[in-house]
Amino acid sequence: MTKDVVVRFVGSAGDGLVSLGDLFSKILKKHNFNVLGFRSYQSVIRGGYNEYQIRATTDEILSIGEAADIIVLLNKHVAEIHKTRVNKGAMVIYDNDYIDLEELEYPEDIQKLPIPLAAITKDISKLKVLKNIVGFGAISYILGLDDTLVKEVIFEQFGDKGNEIVSTNYEALDKGDQFASENKWPIKWEKLKCEKAQQMIISGNEALALGLISGGLKFYSGYPMTPASSIVHYLTKHLPKLGMIVKQTEDEIAAVGMAIGAAYCGARAATGTSGGGFSLMSELIGMAGIEEIPLVVINSQRAGPSTGMATKTEQADLFQAYGISQGEFPKVIMAPSSVIEAFQVGIEAVKIAEKYQVVVIILLDLYLSEHIATVRKFDLERKNKRFGILDKPDENYIRYKITENGVSPRTIPGTKNGMFFTGSSERNERGTSIASTLAGLPDTLPIREEMVKKRMRKMEYIAEELEKPKIFGEQDAAITLVSWGSTKYIVREAIKILKEQGITANQLHIKTVNPFHTKEVKDFLDKAQNVLCIEQNYLGQMNDYIRMRTGFNIQHYLRRWDGEPIVPSQIIAKVKEVLKNE
Amino acid sequence: MSEDFNYTLKDYESDFKPTWCPGCGNFSQWRAIRQALIELEIPPEEVVTVSGIGCSSHMPNFLNVYGLQTVHGRGIPVATGIRLANPELTVLVYGGDGDVYGIGGNHFLHACRRNVDIITIVSNNFVYGLTTGQASPTTPVGTTTKTTPRGSIENPLNPIAVAISAGATFVARGFSGDLKHLTYIIKEAIDHRGFAYVDVYSPCITFNKKQTFNYFRERVYKVEETDHDKEDFYAALDLSNQRFIKDNLPIGIFYQIENKTTYEERDFALNQGVIPARASLDLSKEQIDIITKEFY
Repeated sequence: MTKDVVVRFVGSAGDGLVSLGDLFSKILKKHNFNVLGFRSYQSVIRGGYNEYQIRATTDEILSIGEAADIIVLLNKHVAEIHKTRVNKGAMVIYDNDYIDLEELEYPEDIQKLPIPLAAITKDISKLKVLKNIVGFGAISYILGLDDTLVKEVIFEQFGDKGNEIVSTNYEALDKGDQFASENKWPIKWEKLKCEKAQQMIISGNEALALGLISGGLKFYSGYPMTPASSIVHYLTKHLPKLGMIVKQTEDEIAAVGMAIGAAYCGARAATGTSGGGFSLMSELIGMAGIEEIPLVVINSQRAGPSTGMATKTEQADLFQAYGISQGEFPKVIMAPSSVIEAFQVGIEAVKIAEKYQVVVIILLDLYLSEHIATVRKFDLERKNKRFGILDKPDENYIRYKITENGVSPRTIPGTKNGMFFTGSSERNERGTSIASTLAGLPDTLPIREEMVKKRMRKMEYIAEELEKPKIFGEQDAAITLVSWGSTKYIVREAIKILKEQGITANQLHIKTVNPFHTKEVKDFLDKAQNVLCIEQNYLGQMNDYIRMRTGFNIQHYLRRWDGEPIVPSQIIAKVKEVLKNE
Repeated sequence: MSEDFNYTLKDYESDFKPTWCPGCGNFSQWRAIRQALIELEIPPEEVVTVSGIGCSSHMPNFLNVYGLQTVHGRGIPVATGIRLANPELTVLVYGGDGDVYGIGGNHFLHACRRNVDIITIVSNNFVYGLTTGQASPTTPVGTTTKTTPRGSIENPLNPIAVAISAGATFVARGFSGDLKHLTYIIKEAIDHRGFAYVDVYSPCITFNKKQTFNYFRERVYKVEETDHDKEDFYAALDLSNQRFIKDNLPIGIFYQIENKTTYEERDFALNQGVIPARASLDLSKEQIDIITKEFY
C-alpha cells in the first residue's frame, strides 16, 4: 500500500527549522521514501512565520502537498495561522505549557497531541533548540521510524561537534519517543523495514551546481542574492579543493565580468544571481554576446519587481531574460523544472556555451532553487570534450571567420600566433573594430550584415541540439496543460488526480525557451481540444511568448503571483471550470 | 636582454593605426607599454590588455597582443577573471579617468584591496574626450566643460590617495610628456608582485586647454630625485595631497610594498599551482565522492 504523509514544522526564524527539516528529510530518505521538502520564510534573521513542509511517499513524488497530516507547532506566535491548513484528522503536536489550541480555535476534527517540549528539554540540556529533537523523537514514534537509522543520521549531522552533543541529541530523541509511547499516541505506520537506500537528497541549486561541475566548470563568480546564494555557498565549500576558482565579487557587474574574463581565457565559467543582479549584469551579457565569449548566467527568479518579495517564488523574468541587454545577439534560455533537470541543464549549459560561443541563461525560480528532493544517484563521471579551441593556429589565423554554423575557432591567451583583438563594437573577421572609423562606409555595410547573421545563425544549430518539447499523457485528452519551470510536476500531480476522477488532461511543458521549437509547439497546440496555460506571474508571459513565436493564442490561463507555488487543487479546479464551460 | 628575445616595438603594434588626435598624450603610453614589455622580455602572446570605453580605452586595438575591450568601466573585473583563470599571463588594464574612477570606481576600490597581480594604467586628462568634453571625476573645481558651463562645482577625486588607502601595493604616477620616466614606471608596475596602479597625466589637446603639456612640464618633478621613502604609507599619502595644497606635481612611484601576499598566493586553488583555464574538465571518482557525500 502506498504510504504518503505531509509533515509541517512551524516556528520562527531562529527556531532551528532548517536543520530540523533537513534532518527529517534525510531520515525519511534513508527509509526509502521519496521526499520533497520546502521552506517558506521571510527576509528576517530572527522572528517571522517560518515553516518547513516535508512530503514523503512510497509513490512518485510530484508536489510538496497541501494541507498537513502532521504538524509540529514550535511556538505560539506562529500557531494560529496554521489552523486552516491541516487535514481532517491531522495530528497536531504542540507544547501545551505554551500553546492552547482551544484558545486558538483549532478545528475539532484534529488529533491533539500535547507534549511539554520545553520542560522535557530543560531536564536534558540548556540548549533550547534541542526541543526540536524531542519533538522529532515523538514523530519517529508515530511514523514507526527505525531507531538505529535515525541515530545514524543524527550522528552524521552532529558527529563533528563531539560526543557530548551527539549523546545529548540521542537522549532528547529517546525522551520524545518515550513520551509518545507512554501517552499512547496514535501510530500511523508500524515499524518500518529499511533496505540500504541509494538515493540522494538535494536542492535545485545544489543539483544545478553539480551539473555545472560535472560539465567541466572551472570558474564561478557571484554576489550574494536570495535565492541564488546557496549555489555559491555549495561551490565555494568544495571547488577550491578541486582546483577551481569561486569568487565573491563587489557587485553583480564584477561577477559577470570576472566570469567573462575567465571564459575568454578558456575556463568554463558561470555566474548566478536573482532578478536585481541579473538587471545589473545586463550590459556585460550583451558584450559576451557580441564578443562571442561562452558564458553561463543563472537567474533564480523571485517575486519582483525591484526587491519585490525576496523569499517568495515567481516566474516573471521571462521577458527580462528574452530581452536582456540592448541589440540582437544569440541567447539560449533554458528553464529546468526539477532537481533532476537542474542537474542535466547544468551539464548541457556549459557545453552549449563553449560549443557555440554563446550566452546561456538558466532560468530557475525560488521554489526550484530551494526545495530539496530525493533523486536517483547522479552520474557525474563523464568525458567532457573541448570545442573550438585552437592550440596551434597558423600565422594567418583570424578570430571571427565567417562559417556555416556561425562558430569561428578561437584561441585563448598564451597561444602563440593566436593574438587577436576583440571588443564590444562591431568588427570584421579579423576582429578589428569597424565602428570607430569605418561605420557606415559602403565597404563595411555588408560586413555588419554578415557579422549579425553569423552570430544569429548559431541559434538554428542549437535548436536542433536541444531537447524538443513532447506531450506528456494521452494525445486526445480533453485538455492540454501548458507549463514551464518548476510547475511541471505540480501539473503532473493534478493530471494524475484528474485521471482518477475521470478527466483526461495532458501536458506540454516548455524547457527550452530560446531557441524556440515553434513547429513542434504549434503542432501540439493545433491538435489540442482545450488549452490552459499555467504560470507564476500576472501578465502571462509564457502565454504571450507562445503567441509571439507560434501565432497560437491560448485562451485559458491560471496565474499565481502571490509568492507561493501553485498547488494541484488550484489546477484541478481551473480545469473543471474550463471544461464545464465548454 | 637575452639574445633569443628579439622582438621589436613593431612586433607589439597591430596593423590598426591609432585613431587618437595627433599630439594626444596616449601616444607616448602606447610606446611606453611596448617598450616596457620588450625590456621585461614578455612575448606578445603572454600579454592581455583589457580596457573599457573612452579615447584611451581604444589602446588594445593598436597592440599586437591579446586584447579585449569591454564596456564602459568594466576593464578591471574582466581582467581579474582573466588573471585568476590563468595566472601565467601578464594582464594589463588600460582606461581613462572617467572609465576607471567614474563608472568603474567600485571595481577600482576593490582591485586595490584584493591585490590581484594585474596592472592598471589610467590615462588621466581631467575630461571626457570621446563624448566631446564633459566633466570627469578628476576635473578641478571651477573648470568649464559642456556639462559644467558655470564651472565645475564638485571637488575632484584624489585617486592616488584613494588607491593607497584602499590597499594597493604599487601606486605611481607618470606624465605623457616624459616617455623615459613613464616607461620606467610602467616597467616597474608590470614587474611588481600584486596590484599595480599607475595614473598618467596625459593631456587632451582637443578638449582641455588648461592641463596642457606645458602646464605639466612647468610643474612636475620626480619623486625619485627627492628623499621620498616609497614604503612609507603616510609619506605617500602626504605626497598624493601635494597637488591639492601646492601647485607642484610629483610624478614617480608614490608607494610600493613588496611584503604583502597577492590574491593568487592566498587563493586555495591557485596557491597549488593550478591553471583553471587549462585544467582537465573531468572529475575523478575521489573528487565526485568529496562533492556528493553530503547528499546521502
